[in-house]
Amino acid sequence: MRAPSDGTTLGSVSVTSATVPARPRWTERYGTWLLLAPGTLWMLLFLAVPMLMMVYVSFWTQKTFSIEPRLTLQSWINFFSSSTYVGALVTTVEIWAIVLFFTFILGYPTALYIGLFIRNKTTQTIVLVLCVVPFWTSFLIRVLAWRPMLGKEGAVNLLLLKLGLISHPIDVLLFTKVSVIIGMVQIYVVFMVGPVAVMLGRIDRSLIEAARDLGAGSWRIFRTIIFPLTLPGVAVGAIFVSVMVLGEFATSAALSGQKVNLLGNIIVTEVGSLKWAFAAVAGVVLTAVMGIVIAGLLRAVNLREEL
Amino acid sequence: MENQPVLRGALGLYTVIFITFLYAPFIVLAILSFQSGPEGGPQFPIIHWSIYWYKHLFGLTPPSRVAPLPIGDALIRSLILAFATMVTSTLLGTLTAQAFRRRFAGSGLVFYLVVLGMMVPGVLVGLGVALVSTYLGVDRSWWGTTFLVHVVYTFPFAFLVMLAVLNRFDRSVEEAAWALGVPPARTFRKITFPLIFPGVLSAMLFAFTLSYDEFPRTLFAAGGDLTLPLAIYGTFSVEIHPNIFAFGVLTTLFSFAILAVYGFLMALSVRRARRVAIQEEIA
Amino acid sequence: MLEIRGVRKSYGAKRALDDLSLSVRPSEYLSLLGPSGSGKSTLLRIIAGFERADAGDIYLDGKPLTAKPAHERGVGFVSQGFALFPHLTVFDNVAFGLRFRQRNPVGAPAEVKRRVGEMLELVGLGELGGRQIAQLSGGQKQRVALARTLVVDPQICLLDEPLGALDANLRRRMTIELRRIHQRLGIIFIHVTGNEMEALAMGERVVVLDQGRVLQTDVPDTVYNRPASLQVARFLNRYNSFEHRELDGAPAAEGVCCIRRDLITVNEAGYRAAAPETAITATFVASEYSGSIIVYFFSLPSGKVVEVEYHLSHKRPEPLREGSSYALVWRTAQAMVFGSPKIAA
Repeated sequence: MRAPSDGTTLGSVSVTSATVPARPRWTERYGTWLLLAPGTLWMLLFLAVPMLMMVYVSFWTQKTFSIEPRLTLQSWINFFSSSTYVGALVTTVEIWAIVLFFTFILGYPTALYIGLFIRNKTTQTIVLVLCVVPFWTSFLIRVLAWRPMLGKEGAVNLLLLKLGLISHPIDVLLFTKVSVIIGMVQIYVVFMVGPVAVMLGRIDRSLIEAARDLGAGSWRIFRTIIFPLTLPGVAVGAIFVSVMVLGEFATSAALSGQKVNLLGNIIVTEVGSLKWAFAAVAGVVLTAVMGIVIAGLLRAVNLREEL
Repeated sequence: MENQPVLRGALGLYTVIFITFLYAPFIVLAILSFQSGPEGGPQFPIIHWSIYWYKHLFGLTPPSRVAPLPIGDALIRSLILAFATMVTSTLLGTLTAQAFRRRFAGSGLVFYLVVLGMMVPGVLVGLGVALVSTYLGVDRSWWGTTFLVHVVYTFPFAFLVMLAVLNRFDRSVEEAAWALGVPPARTFRKITFPLIFPGVLSAMLFAFTLSYDEFPRTLFAAGGDLTLPLAIYGTFSVEIHPNIFAFGVLTTLFSFAILAVYGFLMALSVRRARRVAIQEEIA
Repeated sequence: MLEIRGVRKSYGAKRALDDLSLSVRPSEYLSLLGPSGSGKSTLLRIIAGFERADAGDIYLDGKPLTAKPAHERGVGFVSQGFALFPHLTVFDNVAFGLRFRQRNPVGAPAEVKRRVGEMLELVGLGELGGRQIAQLSGGQKQRVALARTLVVDPQICLLDEPLGALDANLRRRMTIELRRIHQRLGIIFIHVTGNEMEALAMGERVVVLDQGRVLQTDVPDTVYNRPASLQVARFLNRYNSFEHRELDGAPAAEGVCCIRRDLITVNEAGYRAAAPETAITATFVASEYSGSIIVYFFSLPSGKVVEVEYHLSHKRPEPLREGSSYALVWRTAQAMVFGSPKIAA
């Protein structure tokens, strides 16, 4: 490139195909970084650093009510040698899997109906908004509302008894693992419906018509065309649900009467008794589980494009 | 596919049941909010219908053994916090989305760093922040550390909304302004911003809602003073009464009202946007 | 005087502008003609400052333009979609540059009103200052875009397919309007279009571009009558091209023979072409009547279509029979011969 005759210094040539006003290179470079700086800095300082701190502290020595920066593996050993804590890890993964499964099974048909069978875009939006409305009630209050629903004299039992479907009240609905699962599924299933309905909306109808013309039956069409095309939506929904379920502790606290311990509960309890290092260990374990789950799910969808 | 009436009917019925399932807790708590008081508890059966607990919320009932909900100050704190979070995260979201209009090295990294804020569960972020502030000797507070993590949580949402809005934005009006001699900053203020304002509104609403009801991060990051969700959580371990349900019903209606205002503002902006669309059609 | 020297621009692997150089004379109305992908819009955007060239320089009155950001160049730009500000009135659109530009913004409302008023008069929109953009027709929007650009006294006015969005009637009216405005203001106008007739009608000179290169720069008359290459002839959509072996008598000459379609006459099949004439035998397919012109379509054994244009004022051939052969004849001297045809027909 010939040197310009007005004496501006040359930086490296930047070839962009986006709209760029032609200004001296240094301002342009700085312009973008200037815009990015506040947000990036914020996330680095208040997200990345705390997370790293958590990993770091998990190796600190735990005294009765305080911690010291002397590095040790003791907390880690305590965690993995105790059946309670390992049990919590197992329970967390177990409940995550079950809730994910049920949100999929229960949410997918609804998404199918909204995305495929409701033609009118406005109606689609209305129904989706309808699904979101319950979220306007505070999360914790909704969690609380499950207690009078699931108890022996709760709404569910009363209804079933009245309908004559059972002869005595079901015991297992409250203060058990089942109640936690029911509560979580109910609260998080919407996150599976949204993304899948959006994916379904994007499917070109003519694909389905073409398949019909070629003689394919409904089940075949679903299996080979519709379902694969919705997989990115399922993956996005699964990511949302997983993130929330893995981080859960409020639902299990409220609905299981301390019987179900998730990693989230461990963290909360340990922090409550100032066992920071130990809580940090639980935190790192949880992060690891989340990392594996999300990495796996990201295989099925390129997040940046879908979002 | 859509023509199968049986399939359509079955799925339709399923969807109705599904939606009822979604509303179940709210219906239950709405019913129970009309429990009689102060003897009535938050469970069935309804002893008799009354609006006692609603009155109790506003302190309009004679003193009883049921303490009023500890929510007065907490509510105000939550509103202030949500407002501050909304402004900050929308600002950050808009700036960052604006940067993403050009391709730059490391954009993938920045993108995932930002999105990480909404992916990491509240417990973990909260724990991390609590650790850092203890280590640094900084006191945790509802207006300090909590504000910081609320923005961490809501900024990615605002960012994604603004990203979508700016993607659809037609740059030729900006170029036209530059060609007239108007510098980029002024162009943004006078041309770009008014046109993306509906998107900005959405981002703000999103951020406000998320911050207002935020719980796990706040649990760890707040100091002694409680926000609304924390105050509600505090009632978990003590006896709960139907006043909490009355409160839930009222806040839901309040959210309804906010959304109505939002919808109204959007309708105004949409009318303006429709003018743009008509313009494109004529051209 | 605008000088463009050695400008290069690529998008990834695609070369949009290939070492392009051009000079525009003061007060000139220049047409830039080319098909899509020829780089004409890219060149315009680079002159305006919306994109940066990979290499090359642009000088306006001797001063380099390339280092300056778009808003400091004094280059007006009217885009294809007009890009009017939808949330402002006509008046505010036109006044925008005056009020908010960086250099010498006009503060006094009276002054703004005067200048905007003058400009609206000039473009023929005197009464419409208070209208909303959405209430305007395409032609009116076009004029608002022009007014907005010209009121800030740019040294150059760039027009990117300005007539593309208008219907045929409006296009003709705007052609006249544009010329009138250009006369009045005396600044450089660069008019980009893919429409060959528009380019020839508007420009004092025409620059023909393809694949990022200048194929020909001439006055319209020369471009029309003596295209510099086969490609230029093709853009003009008025030429038929033949390889020599397709012609009657199969002359051994090299290269491609091009003849303008209104220079061909239709004769009976047995016509013997004498020396100053060339002929080719073709089968009549169909005719197309469009007002003062009738175009006859013939096909060659190779499948190629030949177009012959007759103006109504000329003697028309006897009614042609579909499927019959005819001799298409022209004066050899009026045809152009170009080098070996590298480009596929």
